[in-house]
Amino acid sequence: MVMHPREPRPYDRRRFLRHSLYLSMGAVGAPSLLAACGSDDTSSAGTELPLARRDDPVTLPVHDDVPSIEDGLQPESGTLKVFNYADYIAPGVIKAFSQDYGVQVEVTTFNSMDEAVAKLRTGQSDFDVFFPTPSVLAQIVFGKLLQPLNHSYLPNLGNAWEMLQDPFYDQGSLYTVPYTVYTTGIGYRADEVDTIPANGYDLFWDEQYAGQTHILDDGREAIGMSMLREGMEDMNTEDPDTVRAAGERLQELVDAVQVKIDISGYTEVPEGRATVHQCWSGDMISAQYYLPSGDSPDVLGYWYPTDSPGVVGNDTMAVIAGAEHPVLAHHFLNYVLDEQNALRNFEWVGYQPALQKFSPRYLSSEGYVPANLETAVVTADQYNEGHQLLQLSPDGSALWDEVWATVKSG
Amino acid sequence: MSRASRGPRLWPALSLPGTVWLIAFFAVPFYAVAAIAFGLTDPLFRSPIPVWNPLQWQFDHLLGALQRSLSGDLRPVFVRTFVYVGAALALCIAIGYPVAYYVARLAGRRRGLLLALILAPWWINYLTRMLAWVNLLQPDGYVNRVLQSTPFVSQPVDWLGGNPYTVVVALAYGYLPFFIVPLFATLDRIDGRLLEASRDLGIGTVGTFWHVTLPLSRQGLLTASAITLLPMFGDYYTNTLVSGSPSTTMVGNQIEFYLLQTQQKGIGAALVLILSALLMVLMAYYLVQTQRASREAA
Repeated sequence: MVMHPREPRPYDRRRFLRHSLYLSMGAVGAPSLLAACGSDDTSSAGTELPLARRDDPVTLPVHDDVPSIEDGLQPESGTLKVFNYADYIAPGVIKAFSQDYGVQVEVTTFNSMDEAVAKLRTGQSDFDVFFPTPSVLAQIVFGKLLQPLNHSYLPNLGNAWEMLQDPFYDQGSLYTVPYTVYTTGIGYRADEVDTIPANGYDLFWDEQYAGQTHILDDGREAIGMSMLREGMEDMNTEDPDTVRAAGERLQELVDAVQVKIDISGYTEVPEGRATVHQCWSGDMISAQYYLPSGDSPDVLGYWYPTDSPGVVGNDTMAVIAGAEHPVLAHHFLNYVLDEQNALRNFEWVGYQPALQKFSPRYLSSEGYVPANLETAVVTADQYNEGHQLLQLSPDGSALWDEVWATVKSG
Repeated sequence: MSRASRGPRLWPALSLPGTVWLIAFFAVPFYAVAAIAFGLTDPLFRSPIPVWNPLQWQFDHLLGALQRSLSGDLRPVFVRTFVYVGAALALCIAIGYPVAYYVARLAGRRRGLLLALILAPWWINYLTRMLAWVNLLQPDGYVNRVLQSTPFVSQPVDWLGGNPYTVVVALAYGYLPFFIVPLFATLDRIDGRLLEASRDLGIGTVGTFWHVTLPLSRQGLLTASAITLLPMFGDYYTNTLVSGSPSTTMVGNQIEFYLLQTQQKGIGAALVLILSALLMVLMAYYLVQTQRASREAA
């Protein structure tokens, strides 16, 4: 399973109370287990999911019993219910939409895509808008959890990068519109790392940063990084020898640099607790806000390969099947795709909207990103050429999990 | 209705709330874990499908997890967990017993105050306390500043970089109040006349402790150990906060990984069952000892 940049951070002070609730319940993973025990009113037997790949795009099926809305309808009144990761949409954007449309917006959050899908599957939720990752898209469309979009309500989709107006994981944007994009690279302390080696991934194996080296607590990202270091390109391979070899190379980091595994680079690098940290680009853009008082953003650096593709990712927005406010939900998607609204959202979230206008130079010159972190802004070319971590087959998924569990067992 | 006829029905009835509680919050959840460990996986959503009928259970997850625990990559994790928990318990005994003894037997009028101070950490959220330690133990934290002010340490110690001593100390710190309180209750109940008799018979202070106090507090020591050990074995957050390194991974971390970060929740549930089985052995020992002590007291 691919972890998402907005999944809860174990070290995050803003979220530790929620974790403490789980802890006090005394049940490790109780939410997942309980979700698993819930009722399931979606049919899932006998379905083989298509695995979308850039060279093997997928057109998702449209079900007769889950139609899209008609053209020219007025948005509903009432409360629009949005289902999203925590802190992944700007309150200012929510408030502005509420005022512009004279409605209430209620944001409900989830901790992981698994948890979100499990909740949607109960059929007892009444959400209108959902933010799925491409990696679960086939599952939830085949499970009839999303409704097809009516593009007549989405003129701002034209603002998006062209390849994301017709993405490989959802040809024709039948069910989704793009939300954010990001790369996976290396966040580092520019005041401590003198030179980036020719192969930037070698930084993780550099013993001079022992004790200060961190990799993402995400098997797909970490093992994928090990593969990229060796020049491999298929980040979705299910070849056991390839995945295991990459895992073994990662295990070298335990003894060589006492590597730590977490997803808190956005605080650890600015606070000086990590010198080299595998990071999502959005986290490094957010990192400037976690610098100790008086520290300049110049101490931060972000490396993403320039001579070869790295890992990229993106998120989407969709409308839930059976939503009570489907027209309003379409308007909401269109609202977030508006350039000004997207910019306001980016300013708060730190993750970049996939809109044509937002080049690294533009975001830097407008003061949204420090000049030294322009590398953390994703370009359309980088996204187009990058490797995306996508859904694997059940056996492939189990293989990656097993290798990652071995790495984590020390 | 006479008191004699009411008695046989009334007293068992008093256990009803506790029984319902146990069934609702222990037996049913535990069975749910087993139903997932021995269950199926949804082919579309890849989420676990609990199988409630034991006749249809499949044991692939459990056998796989057992094999890995006995001879595979999970073996060092189990060994490490036992070592860390054992060391943390030893630390709890070394610190907690003298403290409990002092408060129970020697503190006099200050015992109420001391007991309140011992319990004071419980007023603060567990994770808050651990995050405080993270700040203290950072390379530029107060612990390193103090150490570097001495002539013995020149470079900051990497306490948080996968240091097993940090994990053990953090575990002991986190659960120490759980250890002290039941032990205090036992030590407090020891009849002072027995200690006086021992001394009257010419046994010194150390001898009285060894031959009278320690045997009489054995039951409290066992209870305190059981109460401390059980949560320590399943703890994953302490380790995550103060280490985060694979070199200190414990069983709780692996369970958390499988249940929250993968779609192999059946393996996570199987690990829960294996850990529970190990803990049941410890609990069985505790119960046997408790019963034996009750018989001896009778």
